[in-house]
Amino acid sequence: MLYDVLIDPFVQMFALPDFFLQVLWEGFVSGVLYALIALGFVLIYKSSRIFNFAQGIMVVFSALTLVGLHSMGVPAIAAVPLTLLVMYLLAMSIERVVLRPLVNQPDIILFMATIGITLFLIGFGQLVFGGDNKVMITEQLGIPTGAFELEPFGGFVLIEQKDLTAVTLAILLVVGLLVFLNKTKMGRAIRALGDDHQAALSVGISLSTIWVLVWFIAGVIALVTGVVWGARAGVSFALEVIAYKALPVLMLGGLESVSGAIVGGIAIGILEKIFEIYWGQPFLGGNTETWFPFIFALLVLLFRPQGLFGERIIERI
Amino acid sequence: MGFNWKVAGCAGVLSLGVALSSSIASAAEIYIPNLSYRTGPFAATGIPLMNGQRDYVEMLNARDGGVGGAKLIFDECETGYNTNKGVECYEKTKSKAVVTQPWSTGITLQVLPRTNVDKIPILAPGYGFSPMADGEVFAWAFNPPISYWDGASMILNYISDGDLSSLNGKKVALLHLDHPFGKEPIPLIEKLAEENGFEFLPIPVGLKEMQNQSAQWLQIRRERPDFVIMWGWGAMNAGAITEAVKTRYPMDQFVGVWWSGYDGDLKLVGEKGKGYKSISWNVPGSYPVMDDIKTHVVDAGNSLLDSPEDMNSVFYQRGIVISMILVEGIKAAQEKFGTPEINAEQLRWGLENLNITDEVLADLGMAGMTVPFSTSCTNHTGHGGGWMLEWNGTEFVQVSDKLMPDRAVIEPLEKAKAAEYAESNAPWPDRSALPCE
Repeated sequence: MLYDVLIDPFVQMFALPDFFLQVLWEGFVSGVLYALIALGFVLIYKSSRIFNFAQGIMVVFSALTLVGLHSMGVPAIAAVPLTLLVMYLLAMSIERVVLRPLVNQPDIILFMATIGITLFLIGFGQLVFGGDNKVMITEQLGIPTGAFELEPFGGFVLIEQKDLTAVTLAILLVVGLLVFLNKTKMGRAIRALGDDHQAALSVGISLSTIWVLVWFIAGVIALVTGVVWGARAGVSFALEVIAYKALPVLMLGGLESVSGAIVGGIAIGILEKIFEIYWGQPFLGGNTETWFPFIFALLVLLFRPQGLFGERIIERI
Repeated sequence: MGFNWKVAGCAGVLSLGVALSSSIASAAEIYIPNLSYRTGPFAATGIPLMNGQRDYVEMLNARDGGVGGAKLIFDECETGYNTNKGVECYEKTKSKAVVTQPWSTGITLQVLPRTNVDKIPILAPGYGFSPMADGEVFAWAFNPPISYWDGASMILNYISDGDLSSLNGKKVALLHLDHPFGKEPIPLIEKLAEENGFEFLPIPVGLKEMQNQSAQWLQIRRERPDFVIMWGWGAMNAGAITEAVKTRYPMDQFVGVWWSGYDGDLKLVGEKGKGYKSISWNVPGSYPVMDDIKTHVVDAGNSLLDSPEDMNSVFYQRGIVISMILVEGIKAAQEKFGTPEINAEQLRWGLENLNITDEVLADLGMAGMTVPFSTSCTNHTGHGGGWMLEWNGTEFVQVSDKLMPDRAVIEPLEKAKAAEYAESNAPWPDRSALPCE
């Protein structure tokens, strides 16, 4: 038994290296997608200390808007900027109608408000676009749908071009975001607001402008996430469920760290896949991906309560 | 003494009110709630079914003024396929309801013991707990025209060309939703695997993994099962079919239960899904009943369909069949008890005495649309069989003659599991209060 649990899985990894590579690739792709969702949460939390429960439904709403506009005859090339415009209007409305009246309210009130936004977007999205499954306009957006078949170690590894596109898009988005947050005036303003609202306001940073901007960027991230997830299994309200996959990523990476979201996402994506394939399926009946990331994140939190990249809070009494 | 116009006016208004209220009271109505889900992760597959159910009832109301002189009040309570919300909906609707249509195996299992007390029949066509077939134990539950165990048996019969022993030494995987619905066929397939010497490999898919099933399909790539049977629902179906295409699993070795055969899911992969099969107890097509629904509901603007083309979907037409089963139960009860406004206990009798023959289906304009079946005091399912449908790249088409479940194997298991259920939920009521006629 001990051999089966402790040794045999590693033997299998070496015995079928092409399969192991495929597991690693699938885990990496999943991880990048988890990181994308987590990024949306991090960005909003960083600037406003709000845990945005609506990030999942924003993914659905943006993807539905894109597909919906295209189905109304808008060409894909125009549907993307129009969707971005819709996400900007949404960000503005959220700031004006929900956040502005709640300034200085406790965090829990703002969190509850994002639940309200979620419920509104579910109803509104359903009313406008219907609840049926829609096909993502993958080809119209120029996303290749073929696959590369590699033959390492005499076996085969299949790499889908749309997964490669997802990874590339995610990398570009993250690099752009890091540059924006660290090298631009607006980015610094967002970080300043995250550190101390009162201090940021006292030096003339506009809370409402930053909030609109941050919610819009979260909307852009949601759109990219919706496109890459939708290309895999269609666009429906079920996409909302994937937001829950970001929770262990946030526990692991910390709620305030962009790097944490990326490293945490990729780490969880790869580790949950390896655990599921080599231990979960043979010994535990499978479907360990639903709980393994949480256990893993909890174990990390035992040693680093602030997460891998979260800020250590020291409070003097 | 002169004529008092005020008194006369009041008297006139009063008598008009009495006349109106008595005419309202005499208009018989039957309240049939549906615990539907048009929102949430399962909405895509729920909506066409609910639309079909609703439109058949609306058609009867518009064309015939209801059933047997009673107008049907079709009322939806949204559950989002969530068991807790489903139970709330059951509680909310039970005071007026003649039936409960729980629309999820999880909700069915939760309300099953309550319906005995509340005396409301459960109608769960093609879903629910398979041992509900045993009417001697489950007096208030009905799952016609076939149960999940019937479906699993029919799929295995189909892939083995009717000889289960030919599966000896082979491997059969069950890709299933990790939910009571998905786990339902496991006891039967385990039994059949043991008896016929094939290896059975259950592969669960969690709710959060429905759209990213790479781990499950890596397992399929590693284990190389000879057949994959899918017990999927909602977004799981589309996720599995896209992964099967990606993994290049042979589509002709991939068969789904009837809830995994939705046109909308297959449209995501189109041509690449060619050869995928799904067992079904309805065949989509142009039937006279569809013309009536188009005339009286769709063209009249009373349907919730996005487009009239959606009327051809397998699930929309299955929704119609589901409402037909309920309405035939209502008709049977009205005839037996001689009243248009039947109650829940009378409908229970009606559902227990369904006799949907080919002639009945032809009269309803549904000849060939679904399987004929009949229920009885001991048989609450009917076990009518079904057909294999195949995705040809654009639509599902029938590719088999009628398939039947292996009842000799299933029935003892049903009896045993029904008895086990009754024992673990003791004191479970026996049928002494409802003796078989």
